[in-house]
Amino acid sequence: MLGMKIEDLSAFYGSFKAVTGVSMNIQANKVTALIGPSGCGKSTFLRCLNRMHEVIPGAYAEGGVHLGDQDIYAKDADPVTIRRRIGMVFQKPNPFSKSIYENVAWGARINGYKGDMDELVERSLRRAALWEEVKDKLKKSGFDLSGGQQQRLVIARTLAVEPEVILMDEPASALDPVSTQKIEDTMADLKKRYTVVIVTHNMQQAARISDYTGFFYIEHMGDPGRLWEFDETDKVFSAPGRKETEDYVTGRFG
Amino acid sequence: MPRETFQQELDHLVGDMVALGREVEASMDTMVEAMQAQDAEIARRVIGVDAGYKQRGLELDEECIILQARQAPVARDLRLIYTVQAVTNHLVRAGTLSEHICRAIVDTGGVEHDPDLASTLSEMARAARNLFHEGLNVFEMRDIDRARDLEAADDKVDLLYSEAMNLIVNPSDNGGGSPEWRIRAALIVHYLERIADHGVDVGGRTVFLVTGERMESAMQQYRERRVESDED
Ligand SMILES: Nc1ncnc2c1ncn2[C@@H]1O[C@H](COP(=O)(O)OP(=O)(O)O)[C@@H](O)[C@H]1O
Ligand SMILES: [Mg+2]
Repeated sequence: MLGMKIEDLSAFYGSFKAVTGVSMNIQANKVTALIGPSGCGKSTFLRCLNRMHEVIPGAYAEGGVHLGDQDIYAKDADPVTIRRRIGMVFQKPNPFSKSIYENVAWGARINGYKGDMDELVERSLRRAALWEEVKDKLKKSGFDLSGGQQQRLVIARTLAVEPEVILMDEPASALDPVSTQKIEDTMADLKKRYTVVIVTHNMQQAARISDYTGFFYIEHMGDPGRLWEFDETDKVFSAPGRKETEDYVTGRFG
Repeated sequence: MPRETFQQELDHLVGDMVALGREVEASMDTMVEAMQAQDAEIARRVIGVDAGYKQRGLELDEECIILQARQAPVARDLRLIYTVQAVTNHLVRAGTLSEHICRAIVDTGGVEHDPDLASTLSEMARAARNLFHEGLNVFEMRDIDRARDLEAADDKVDLLYSEAMNLIVNPSDNGGGSPEWRIRAALIVHYLERIADHGVDVGGRTVFLVTGERMESAMQQYRERRVESDED
């Protein structure tokens, strides 16, 4: 599996600079968590990693983002292919108004998947830890599932197109504790096959599931967000290098 | 500031622990006094304190566990709670050793002592007590530069240890005291050395608390820094 290399990345909304100067290496087959106060650019940064940011009118990014050797911002790079290779799961589960089966099969189908579709659907649902709960009702609508199940359905849909990296923006923040736990449990399994980057406002969640943690921070009001500290999660939650990180993770912020 | 209640609980925890440390120190002062005066009656005042220290140690430990369960502390909060648990253990053990020493003094009240050995023991007791006191100060002030000096002070205790052991094994011509006394003296020497080590460890734990680094690796960096600046 491939890791990602980000060099001096800045992100803009028109003339407004939301994120500045972020450099980091995202290790393959690891979970990297991004934490920090809201508004400091975590979601914006995450969307830059699969060229979703530029979908917003007037929004653009500067700097380098590589997936393995490939420059994803190269002139000849196709954003659609990149978004398939680097999938994204959002905060609010967004299944399609289709059957559970079709939710998973859809992306693979439009990508021209030629293999055994039943097998792909089952495999994706298993990897998202949802198979046992839905195997007898695959024809039912995705909306019939609970919030936590819907989020795992969306994860299965993302996996079905066989990405290399999965980006998750607060995937569990709208879920109850049991569903959250299920999402967290799938994470350990997912990183065996994928590289995972997750934005979370739940610091204990970052501590539980991630291998690396990046802390985003804005020092002065109106400044763009920066990557303030990036290190192994063990280090960030036991002895962070910077005072602001320590204030944030211990809840002394503000 | 957010988490105000938690901060108060932490402050309270640390206050209780330091208070325990100061009481152990008071027992150590009595121990030093008893050794200097060679007075079993003074030593007797320390007999029985150990049980109370152990009880307080258990209570502090329990508080630490409850805080961890309820507050899920991380970073400096986690290091603080971990450090309090570790330092509490050092304090309780040092208290136990002080009582052991006082018991030895009481038990040998009536037998003949070797004055040279007795005065070496007294000197060692003062050095160990001072070191322990300094270790607790380092913790209270979070003064990690002084933690590094504790190792030098410990070298002095180790030197006195060798001197005392030498006197025990090779008694001077004027008798060397009764065998009973020399056996007890050997134990006392050992206990004092342990007390000094607990003092050094309290300092080491403080380095971890402040920097997140173990004393050994902090010392390593300190030495390397010295080497670099020597070359300048
Ligand atoms: N679509 C947008 N248009 C303009 N500004 C935006 C947009 N989305 C986010 N921002 C701004 O960019 C900054 C970073 O936001 P965001 O990336 O959502 O932060 P976070 O995810 O850390 O909470 C904020 O100042 C926010 O107001
Ligand atoms: Mg966000």
